[in-house]
Amino acid sequence: MTEALKSCVGREVTYSAPEPVGRASIRYFAVATGDTNPLYSDEAVASLSRHGGVIAPPTMVCETAQFYTAPQTADGYLGHRWDLPIESDRNIRGGNEYEFFQPVRPDDSITVTWRIVDIYERETRKGGSAIFVISEARYVNQRGELLAINRETMIR
Amino acid sequence: MTRAANRAFDGIVVGERLPALEIDVTLACLVMYAAATWDFHRYHYDTRYVNERGFPAPFVDGQMLGALIARQLMDWGGHDAFLRRLRYRLSAMVFVGDRIVVSGEVAHTRVDSGHGLAVCRVEIVKSDGTSVVSAAEGTVDFGPMAGEPAA
Repeated sequence: MTEALKSCVGREVTYSAPEPVGRASIRYFAVATGDTNPLYSDEAVASLSRHGGVIAPPTMVCETAQFYTAPQTADGYLGHRWDLPIESDRNIRGGNEYEFFQPVRPDDSITVTWRIVDIYERETRKGGSAIFVISEARYVNQRGELLAINRETMIR
Repeated sequence: MTRAANRAFDGIVVGERLPALEIDVTLACLVMYAAATWDFHRYHYDTRYVNERGFPAPFVDGQMLGALIARQLMDWGGHDAFLRRLRYRLSAMVFVGDRIVVSGEVAHTRVDSGHGLAVCRVEIVKSDGTSVVSAAEGTVDFGPMAGEPAA
């Protein structure tokens, strides 16, 4: 692993959504995941819950591309990515750890800060080696209230 | 599947099984999730593109599996449920044409800051038995216990 790559630890970037999340996006995400839970679409039902109104499905906030649009790559991708000094074009998701602090609501405007918390090299089961990039995203609303932390492992 | 509108934390038993979710992974599923999350990478819909790169079919974004686990946990927890934590490691790719079952059970319960919490272990398995996630666990918060001050 190169020094140039190791020095990327600590790199940080912030994206702010240009508009609130909105009910339509919440309902869209629910439809896309086959989720008929009325907390995500039915104000009459959701208002009787302890949430007091419609909320977003928990992991929806952790999809950063909805808040920030980068120039589209030849692969079609237009979301957040780290431009790292790695030759491999492999980028495999290893796993995620989410912590949720309060529900995301339709009128929340999201700001996310991504930070690289660790990069290390490890041998793989097949005898090769892979670079593990650990990033952490913190999502806050327009009042600065922490909504979620998403710790993500990508394998390069 | 039954949904408890407001289920009581007291009624939760360690070992209780969560209602399983069975999902046929179609190209339509992937396209819908990609569109809802603004993820237009060709991995998720372009069969020729992925075939050229050695994959048999377009494949699921791992975070979609997280969304399905969250769906299961929130559905089971009822309308007052809130997911506090969710974690999973991905151990196999899921392709268009796969059938997956999301299942889980209550591993333990505890009270934290006056709130009843249920920690659930979750599995996602393909129809050929391949395990898709490992160390998958979600913590459902049922809200303030009766007689406890809200935290």
